[in-house]
Amino acid sequence: MTTDTATPVRPGTPVRPSEVARPGDRTADRLFATGIRNQWYAVCPSDFVPAGGMKRLTLLGEEWLLFRRADGTLHMLEDRCPHRGARLSLGKHLGDRIACWYHGVQVDGTGTVAAVPGLPGCNLEGKQLVAAPHLVETGGAILAYFGDSTHAEPVPLTLPEQLTDPGTTAFLCYAEWNVNWRYAVENLLDPMHGSFLHRDSHSMAEGQTTARFRIRETERGFFFEKTDQSGVNFDWVELCRTGVDWVDLTIPYPPTAGPGGPFGIVGMATPIDEDRCAVFFWRYRKVTGWQRDTWRFLYRTLLEDRHWEVLEQDRVMLEDLRSDADQAENLYQHDLGVVRVRRMYRTEAEAQATGS
Amino acid sequence: MTSPTHAQYLDPHQSRTAEPTPYEKKLAAEIEEVFGSGAHDLPGLVAGLNARDLPAPDGSPWTEETFRTEMRRLGA
Ligand code: FES
Ligand SMILES: [Fe+2]
Repeated sequence: MTTDTATPVRPGTPVRPSEVARPGDRTADRLFATGIRNQWYAVCPSDFVPAGGMKRLTLLGEEWLLFRRADGTLHMLEDRCPHRGARLSLGKHLGDRIACWYHGVQVDGTGTVAAVPGLPGCNLEGKQLVAAPHLVETGGAILAYFGDSTHAEPVPLTLPEQLTDPGTTAFLCYAEWNVNWRYAVENLLDPMHGSFLHRDSHSMAEGQTTARFRIRETERGFFFEKTDQSGVNFDWVELCRTGVDWVDLTIPYPPTAGPGGPFGIVGMATPIDEDRCAVFFWRYRKVTGWQRDTWRFLYRTLLEDRHWEVLEQDRVMLEDLRSDADQAENLYQHDLGVVRVRRMYRTEAEAQATGS
Repeated sequence: MTSPTHAQYLDPHQSRTAEPTPYEKKLAAEIEEVFGSGAHDLPGLVAGLNARDLPAPDGSPWTEETFRTEMRRLGA
């Protein structure tokens, strides 16, 4: 990286790192590969950051530090000291702030320099110099808003009702896959793979292996669904854009899983970098009382294992895709959902790259 | 490029903190069997468990109340 074209930053000039031009970051290709900005994403399970703890993560191709105070308050900072750029994650957790290990500069949860111990009164003190995304916790996971420099304020967020409705109970399954995030999303917009890839599973053995699909628009996104079968296999998926992008789908349970009907999945995929993503699958069921408790007991004891096997089938298939797999496709009618979601993200990447 | 400090996170068990006990495994398997027989209501489930000779934790036959209590403990 060259520095001669960059505007020199005087110590104390209130420039947030996220506003520093990073060549290449704003191209459409880069956004497409590392994630559309100006929306919320799931970050990690809440218990990755215990009270008094720190967690370093890569998200959307950038480095981040999460830390939690003793009272549970959670903060997220760009993992870059405002002094000379050392990793804050190598520093010390001082309760409500992080002290950089290199020269001791202290940064609080809002990204403001709280103290410069080596030079008290230094004009860095009191300045907000580190990006500190807004956070929300729900369903056992942390969500953060990733805005670009012209969209620092978070967009409104409506959480999936399955994670907030008291009549629904959910378990989060979190995993990291060595595949670009978009392939993970496209896999969810491709219900037909259930009848083949997951045919030898506890829940997707039934139903036709031929189907016709349609796209049905909704206020928050769209359904991609079979026209001639529902409630038998993985027969539909809804893409929802409510400040965070997520999918909803249901998969029937066999009678051995008891009352309560199918289990549902709320799914999210978050880019780690261009080759990796974090996937969040909340397995939910609309059950209360003894039915809820019994499902949760069966889930912990038997069902989680079986669900995991199914997820591993997806992971193996996706991780072995060539990174240029989408450059030589021959798509057919079942791939309308894939085409739709891909075009949607591509259009947004291009709009964000030009700043429109 | 995968950074060397980043190990891939793949944990098949995220909903529990310990391996189920033999009792819990047996109870879960019996519940599945009863459900599989088509009994999806509480009286049918309790009757099915009692027919399978798996006593409640206190050693006596299951009642709706002891089943609810045990599931609350194991499934909360
Ligand atoms: S780089 Fe962090 S205090 Fe100097
Ligand atoms: Fe799948």
